[in-house]
Amino acid sequence: MNIVIIGNSAAGLSALQAFRKHDQESHVTILSKEGTIPYSRVLLPYVLRGKLSYDKMSIRTADFFKEYNAECIEATVTAIDPEKKQVICGDTVYPYDKVLIATGSYAVDPPIEGVKQEGIYHMWTKKDVDALAPCFDRCKRVVVIGSGFVALQAAWAAKFRGLEVSVIELMSRIMPNVLDVKGAEILTQKIHDAGVALHTDTVTEKIEKLPDGSFLVHLKDKEPIAADFIIVGTGVRPNTQFLENSGVIVERGIPVDCCMQTNVSDIYAAGDVAAGPTTFGDQNMIHALWPTAVEMGQVAGINMAGKSFVYEGSLNMNVTQMYDVTVASMGKFNDADIARFEELSSPENGYVKVCYDAQGHLIGGCVVGSSEAVHLLGKMRPLIRKKQRIDCPPEKIEHYMEVETFKSQM
Amino acid sequence: MKVITMDPKKCVGCRNCEMACAFASSAKSCEREYSNIKVYHHIEDKLVMPVTCFHCEQAWCMQVCPANAISRDPETDAVCIDQSRCAGCKMCILACPYGNIHFDTEKLVSHKCNLCEGEPSCVTHCIAGALQYEEIETYVDRKRSRVDTIIGTRVKHAEQE
Amino acid sequence: MSELKTYKSICRMCGEGCGIEVRVRDGKVEKIVGNKEDPVNCGRICIKGSSAATWVNLENRLTKPLKKTENGFVEIELEQAMDEIAEKLLAIQKKYGDNAIGVWKGEGIGFAQNEELARRFIHAVGSPNYFSNDTQCYAGRYTAFNLVYGCWPQADLRNSKLVILWGTNPPAAHSYWTQQINDARDKGAKLVVIDTKYTEIARQADIYVNVKPGCDGVLAWGVIREMLERGVVDYDFVEKFTLGFDELKAYAQTFTKDYVAQYCEIDGEVISQIVDLLDAARPHITSWPGTGLEHQQDGVNSVRATTYVDVLAGAIDQKGGMLVTQGMKINNLEIYDEKPLLDLKPIGADTHPVLYHMRKECHTLELMDQILSEKPYPFKGLVMSAANPALTNANTGKVLEALSKLELLVVKDLFLTETAELADYVLPAASYLEREELHYNAAGHYVFLSTKTSDKGLQTEYELFKGLADRMGAGSYFPWKNDHELNEWLIEPSGLTMEQLQNNPSGVRHTEIEYKKHERKLAAGEKPFNTPSGKVEFTSEILKQYGYEPLGKFTYVPDYIAKPDAAYPYLMMTGARKPMFFHGRYRNIEQLRKAVPHGQIEMHPTDAAKLNVVTGDRVRVTSRKGSIEIDVLVMNEKEIHPGSVQITHGFKHENVNLLTDDDVRDPISGFPALKSVMVNIEKI
Repeated sequence: MNIVIIGNSAAGLSALQAFRKHDQESHVTILSKEGTIPYSRVLLPYVLRGKLSYDKMSIRTADFFKEYNAECIEATVTAIDPEKKQVICGDTVYPYDKVLIATGSYAVDPPIEGVKQEGIYHMWTKKDVDALAPCFDRCKRVVVIGSGFVALQAAWAAKFRGLEVSVIELMSRIMPNVLDVKGAEILTQKIHDAGVALHTDTVTEKIEKLPDGSFLVHLKDKEPIAADFIIVGTGVRPNTQFLENSGVIVERGIPVDCCMQTNVSDIYAAGDVAAGPTTFGDQNMIHALWPTAVEMGQVAGINMAGKSFVYEGSLNMNVTQMYDVTVASMGKFNDADIARFEELSSPENGYVKVCYDAQGHLIGGCVVGSSEAVHLLGKMRPLIRKKQRIDCPPEKIEHYMEVETFKSQM
Repeated sequence: MKVITMDPKKCVGCRNCEMACAFASSAKSCEREYSNIKVYHHIEDKLVMPVTCFHCEQAWCMQVCPANAISRDPETDAVCIDQSRCAGCKMCILACPYGNIHFDTEKLVSHKCNLCEGEPSCVTHCIAGALQYEEIETYVDRKRSRVDTIIGTRVKHAEQE
Repeated sequence: MSELKTYKSICRMCGEGCGIEVRVRDGKVEKIVGNKEDPVNCGRICIKGSSAATWVNLENRLTKPLKKTENGFVEIELEQAMDEIAEKLLAIQKKYGDNAIGVWKGEGIGFAQNEELARRFIHAVGSPNYFSNDTQCYAGRYTAFNLVYGCWPQADLRNSKLVILWGTNPPAAHSYWTQQINDARDKGAKLVVIDTKYTEIARQADIYVNVKPGCDGVLAWGVIREMLERGVVDYDFVEKFTLGFDELKAYAQTFTKDYVAQYCEIDGEVISQIVDLLDAARPHITSWPGTGLEHQQDGVNSVRATTYVDVLAGAIDQKGGMLVTQGMKINNLEIYDEKPLLDLKPIGADTHPVLYHMRKECHTLELMDQILSEKPYPFKGLVMSAANPALTNANTGKVLEALSKLELLVVKDLFLTETAELADYVLPAASYLEREELHYNAAGHYVFLSTKTSDKGLQTEYELFKGLADRMGAGSYFPWKNDHELNEWLIEPSGLTMEQLQNNPSGVRHTEIEYKKHERKLAAGEKPFNTPSGKVEFTSEILKQYGYEPLGKFTYVPDYIAKPDAAYPYLMMTGARKPMFFHGRYRNIEQLRKAVPHGQIEMHPTDAAKLNVVTGDRVRVTSRKGSIEIDVLVMNEKEIHPGSVQITHGFKHENVNLLTDDDVRDPISGFPALKSVMVNIEKI
């Protein structure tokens, strides 16, 4: 059997590993447009911050593919032909029996005048880091447009490196996909405390490049902000351009079933590009999160090896350390999506929120505080997935989860 | 395969395990924050429970680590963190369903049990005998013999009556 | 080339003696782990044990003798130090009398032959004044047990079906017991813990009784009454082997369930529950009283009352009961028969005659008074082997004053302790890892010979006492060239050889364990028990002889109950250990100190609320003796008796002994009531 995996990151790699557990015989080809040594985009802000050296961004060696008896080829896929069962990379053609689309996503540019210029970057690929790293070393002022998970990490990395940082957010609050309103408020305060100028409810009208190569970011009803370079972090879209005319349905992403199968037989999709089932019963949802990509890749790999394996549905989870605080969340935590919550905040653990649905099932939570508090979310994960009721009164949930520790010294 | 087993019926919460682990991990302190094993005490429920990594067969922390910093030791089967690769993103902490991965607030990296190269310090310091480092089969046998004893006693009682 | 050697040895970081494996690289102790072959601790040791590898190699370890001069301490050679010390001791004896000097055995160096060597030395040079820390821990219980059945018994925990712990916490104080108790529980044994604090071991107890401090004796009498009432008594044993049963029966009548419940502030039903367990488990019952009882005014009698429970249940010298152990047959180092020196008035022998009768031990609290008063005779010179009373004896203020008044204070230790700082001479000591020594495990009848695992060229205990005796004209009492020769001589009568011991570093059983020896002895016409009457004495002949009430009545009611003082409304207990420290020791091991960096006052939440304090707040604690400032630790309401607070000893900056009374004592043992000190607490 010929297996082709398009993409060399979380989903593709975990698909390969899972596939090989069940099939040691088939020929596996991995096609990657970003080089044959995989890297992790989660690490980009850590590299920029100086926490991790550049080489540590690579997460597999060439030996890895040997060990898994796979061939990794640098190639950009231009089309898939389901009739001939071929993956086409310009002039080269790779026949497949089964193919996995794990092409990930790309960072989008917002509709702002002047957003596409030299000196304005995303923070989404290794190439972005290659471009940003000298700016971090050389420049003094940066404007970050957007205040999602990636944007704020980029801003933190810049602040950490001593740059003057401004963050512009269109909406009234930061990180709606990662934190609830209160958590966002707490983090906002932390961001201010760290000395980052965060402007919410602010429309970026135009980015003007000045003769000296620096920028002036023009804002609606506000003073413009000067910057030496700009990072745009306003979201990502799936890489699906090559699927035109393939017959594979593409909506916002590629809808897949619980086996990561697309509408076309023998074509699978996983990771940021795929819209799959969630633990809460959504049929087709894109998370664009590393852990979801790993899980989807696994499900795809097993199914491609001929074993039936049904995905229990993705559960969104986010975590990072920024602005000297741990920010983490899982499942549902915004007030509109939950029936009830418990706040387990404490001076030691910070802000901790645990959320339930109307039936009393745990459905999520968020943390702006200590890493110890993240344990609580971690322990909740299987309970959320199993739709388990907690057989203790809500005020004791912390205790139930064993996060209560010895308060005394000894 | 050898694993660390934990018996809450024997643990007294003396925390020698925590101190020993902290010292083995940090080489400088017995403070609890450096320890990979944690003893939880729920006084209301009369429960004392030492908890450390189970080195899961399907180690989700290892699979999910975006830095590929977690791997399995070929000698001991321990799931180990290579701190030089760890970015400190805390994904593993969020991934662990048992709360067994911890964060080093100085080095800003995660830390967890690595089975001390096959001689776990927590176990050798467990003066209560609540922790064992043993083959899974031994553990199961021991559990079974305990059940056998209970059944045996009941049968004996029934016969006497 | 680095060379790794492993030695099996015995840990002496506390008194328990767990088996260890010492890994030594290039002559330096690198790592210590448990000895898996050791029958006592089965390879498991506590954090103190492994931290010894750090401890013996600490940079500030003493290596040269120090002499105090006008400019502070200066280093001198050992020979010079020994010459000068001997000369000064002789001069003091000549000027003030032979008994003006004494020796004090501490526990910082080890626990094996030090005591006998110190006793031998001081009698050899003509003074009866042997002191040790045992008069603050151990000697009270030793006295109590011996008064009742003529021995210091051992609890056969592993074979026990019921373990009762009275005011003792094995995880902190007797680490390997924890494992043995759990082994017994594995086989179905039950555990009862009676303590004013919800200790570590209490967490696994089937019954936990949070008794009011100092009232354990009342509870024991309540249990006795119910045993008698329900007939949970081994009448055959009582009839054949005990003295004073009628007096016991009559006295027990007072202790009804209601009376005990009210007095001890407990639920009276636990008495029935305990008796249920006693009935089901007897005679395989072990029970152990700790310093929780000993450090009370009624200490000896409370301990005796707990042993009456064991006696009535028939647990004495039973498998899984309280073993009347047989020590190894060795040559005796003590020379009390040859030189009793009673005419020279051993300090404390007149005020606490029962203690002296039982232990031949002088009293450290009396010593302080005598140094200061010079009554009935002056005391001027003291040689201390690793004791640290400046931190650990009651009433620190007086201790400092007294020790400073001495003409000669010699302290031998591994480090410059609080007490060593007061000394005229400080001698660096070899640790237990740096000398050869015999060790015993009393319960298992095991003997161990530890070897020198590393050699820093430091003086051993034997070399100290031999060196001084040689110089003081008593060298004939120390004819052995070195520790090895001494050990060879010691074991002669045992039938064992040094080779046997060397080849079996994980222990040799010197005598097979025999149960119920009293029955054999009775049949053979011997005294079944080593008491004056040869019986188990509910009513003590010795106490009668010294004019005390013979029965272990609850007589010496704690002052805080009998004579409460509104100025000191709280009851302060001290002496509860932390697992990583041993009394005043090991704060100098950085990794251990960091685990608990300073002292704390542990209190009940209702008391904290009354004082308007939370954990971390600072309070001033004042007693009749002094005052300290300390951080608050609010416990769970189940963890401590309301109205009582606990401060662990041994913290230099929160030295609880600045508060403790040296004059509130158990009249029998002379023990200070360290666990019922009346204090006031104020928020600061």
